[in-house]
Amino acid sequence: MSVGFLLIHARPQRAWSAILSWFLFAAGLAAYLWVAQARHRENPEDRVTPTLAQMATGMYNAVMQPAEEDEAAPPAANFYDRLSHSMLWRDTRATSRRFLLSLALLIPAVLLGLHMGLFPYVGVFFLRFVLFFDKIVALSLLPILFIAFGIDELSKIMLIVIGVTPTIILDSFNLTRGVPPEQIVKAFTLGAGDFDVAYRVVLKQVAPRVLNSIRLNLKAVMLFLFAGEMIASTDGLAYRIALLRRHMGMDVIIPYVLWVALLLFLVDFAMRTVNRKLHPWFHEA
Amino acid sequence: MLWRFSTLLLLAASAFAQKPSFTVGWSVYAGWTPYHYMNKSGILRKWADKYGITIKVQRFDYAPSLDAFVARNIDACTMTNMEALDMPAASGVPTTAILIGDYSNGNDALLVRNGLQLKDLPGKKMLLVEKTVSEYLFDRAMTLGGLREQIKRVRMINTSDSDIATAFIGDANASAVVTWKPMVSQIAKQKGVTSLFNSSQIPGEILDLTVVRTDVLSRPDGAGQKFAKALAGAWFETLAQMSTPGAAGDKVLAAIAEGSQDSLASYKEQLGTTKMFYTPKEAAGFGASPELKQKMALVRQFCFDHGLLGANTKSVDDVAIRYPDGSIQGKPDRVRLVYDLGYMQLAAQGKL
Amino acid sequence: MLIHIEDVFVAYGSPPRAVLAGINLEIEEGEFVCVLGQTGCGKSTLLRLILGSEHPMRGRILVDGREHHQPDRTRGYVPQKYSLFPDKTVLDNITFGCEVSEFGLFARLTPAFYRRRKQLRAEAFDYLQRIGLRSCDAKKYPDQLSGGMQQRVAIAQALMTKPRILLMDEAFSALDPGTRRGMQQLVRDLWKATGTTILFVTHNTDEALRLGTRVIVLAKESVDQGSRIAMDLSVPAPCGDEEIPSLVRRLELVSESCAL
Repeated sequence: MSVGFLLIHARPQRAWSAILSWFLFAAGLAAYLWVAQARHRENPEDRVTPTLAQMATGMYNAVMQPAEEDEAAPPAANFYDRLSHSMLWRDTRATSRRFLLSLALLIPAVLLGLHMGLFPYVGVFFLRFVLFFDKIVALSLLPILFIAFGIDELSKIMLIVIGVTPTIILDSFNLTRGVPPEQIVKAFTLGAGDFDVAYRVVLKQVAPRVLNSIRLNLKAVMLFLFAGEMIASTDGLAYRIALLRRHMGMDVIIPYVLWVALLLFLVDFAMRTVNRKLHPWFHEA
Repeated sequence: MLWRFSTLLLLAASAFAQKPSFTVGWSVYAGWTPYHYMNKSGILRKWADKYGITIKVQRFDYAPSLDAFVARNIDACTMTNMEALDMPAASGVPTTAILIGDYSNGNDALLVRNGLQLKDLPGKKMLLVEKTVSEYLFDRAMTLGGLREQIKRVRMINTSDSDIATAFIGDANASAVVTWKPMVSQIAKQKGVTSLFNSSQIPGEILDLTVVRTDVLSRPDGAGQKFAKALAGAWFETLAQMSTPGAAGDKVLAAIAEGSQDSLASYKEQLGTTKMFYTPKEAAGFGASPELKQKMALVRQFCFDHGLLGANTKSVDDVAIRYPDGSIQGKPDRVRLVYDLGYMQLAAQGKL
Repeated sequence: MLIHIEDVFVAYGSPPRAVLAGINLEIEEGEFVCVLGQTGCGKSTLLRLILGSEHPMRGRILVDGREHHQPDRTRGYVPQKYSLFPDKTVLDNITFGCEVSEFGLFARLTPAFYRRRKQLRAEAFDYLQRIGLRSCDAKKYPDQLSGGMQQRVAIAQALMTKPRILLMDEAFSALDPGTRRGMQQLVRDLWKATGTTILFVTHNTDEALRLGTRVIVLAKESVDQGSRIAMDLSVPAPCGDEEIPSLVRRLELVSESCAL
């Protein structure tokens, strides 16, 4: 090893890279198991740090047992029937629906940002307000949201809208502004009209960057969604976590949290793949 | 060498001089706010000094106070009989109730819009904090109304207690709400809202306790016993001051109300629907009555039915309760919650 | 008279500093005009005025007898950078102008559009050959091409819509000298073949002399005055290699003496 291993010019070998990149996972797991075991030795009924076996049982029940609110599936039901009545499936479905609906609501936000960036009157009309709104801590407005939108789906989705859309609007505004003016002039000289420029030149160019910006905000969307579900809900992943927390059902909460992380990762991965497929010309700088 | 030896001696001496220290956690509720006054007025300190220990008092939100107790970060805590069973007891932290403070006598209520009746509720939207005494109260209301089978058909919406008042007031589609004071008072002021059921119709089922971890009480140095005695002594001295009629009592009540940023009038209103056991005799008397066992049987069955005793608890008898007369509900080898009247009786006899 | 510029004055900033002052210029159909000047003398501003993306504070600019308030199809444009749409292939870049001006957002869904696109693509392949690209380059994205290739495509893209005037703003300034010579030849050939009027802005005297039929030098008389037309030189035939050095020296003298 001619170059010290902590230097910038170090070149880790493949095997070492693999080992090092998984080390913290292994260490985290080991530390957890050690603490869990210690706590269980002291108190066999400890619920704060369930063992792997307890989590497996908890998760098995979450996947295979009908949710408490649901009608029990007929005992002879096959695997898929039981799955469709299960706690995990119901919660995932409810949360996903809200999540995707909120993502769909980001599309008008992107278009608004685009128009603000291109059309000066739209820009002056909205920009100051959106800048102000971006700094509002949406969670503190909850009572108003409840009164304005009720406590059903609408108020949860509005929470996300208020929390995340200003960021997305400003992001697409800035990205639109970042398109070189030459491009816009060029499009006009080729005979394009205002809307051709907006949708066929600028939007197509900023689309991959906007998608990336939405990817970065996925966690914020999830955070607001969770806050909403924890405060008032009848189903959803965060509803279950809030409920189980009340009697320390960590054996289900921990797998649920990991499941949410996996789902978010998959959404992010899917968006990245779609982005690459749709925009082969785009290279992240 | 001599110098080193003497520092060692000094260290040992200071370790001896260090008084055993305990922490009691409380959260805002009419029956528990006296802890604020007890600490501030010096009553608690007086009793702690008497037993040669230190007692710290810490205010929590309710749920975190339970977590702190289960995690053994605090030695004593205020909680309801239901939570004592489904949180520490069911999590394998044996718990002893040393003080029975009061029972909810109207503090928890089921409120409805437009004069609905219990039988109208199935299919309607109802806000409540699920898996708490609120759901228990509703369960009991429906059972007593002969509508037990219909409970599942009510659309319960789990709503955080900090937002439940605005959520219900703001949403005209929500037909019913179950919650506790002071939210109940706030909601009841709305037009068209009526109270359909409240905890005065199930007296003694929602108890407010001070519990101590059993392993603290059985500390080999006996300091845990002293801690419980000091708490009991201070508690009943505070309650005696509270119940003094006239201006002197009002002054105490106002000081207590201050502990939760409440006004004297509002606090008095809450006390009106709280059956306080002002004297140790009353408290111990309730603890010794057969009623306690009947009510606990209802509560523990509710907890088990809703999975609050833990997913791995296969039988309601796995979390057993021992009563002052020595009888046990559940498996004798799995006693997790103990009602101990000893400290209240000592207080009644003036032997603390 | 294709372009008529009358007593134009432009200033930037606050307090305003004059960039162009008292510019009068007439350009005939079919001319190849090179605008020469040092950095900051306002030659790009002049181009943008004709383009319609900027407006004079005083005076007026008529193209084909009318004032234009924004860029449109009559004036093609090839800037130094960012001239191609990065999200479109070479072929789509070239056909973009005709597609977008003939078919609206929704007319693209009709079968007529696909028939027309076929024609346009054939035409684009034609252009592709004329600018010296291979047909396998058609499917590439702009960033897969060299700078010179990109500018070739940009010229084809601009010419596809058959503008009356082609405005080129330092179009070859970012290219290396070898590539540049080839591009100059190409533009000269295309100009001859199409007869399009070209206004070519450059700071390179040699380039201006090789390309234009007319060279205009913009220069300031003093620091706080706007640029004027310091010289208007007619170049009836392209300069030969032996005349160029002496002409370059003369022109640069004019440009520098005015700029102090």
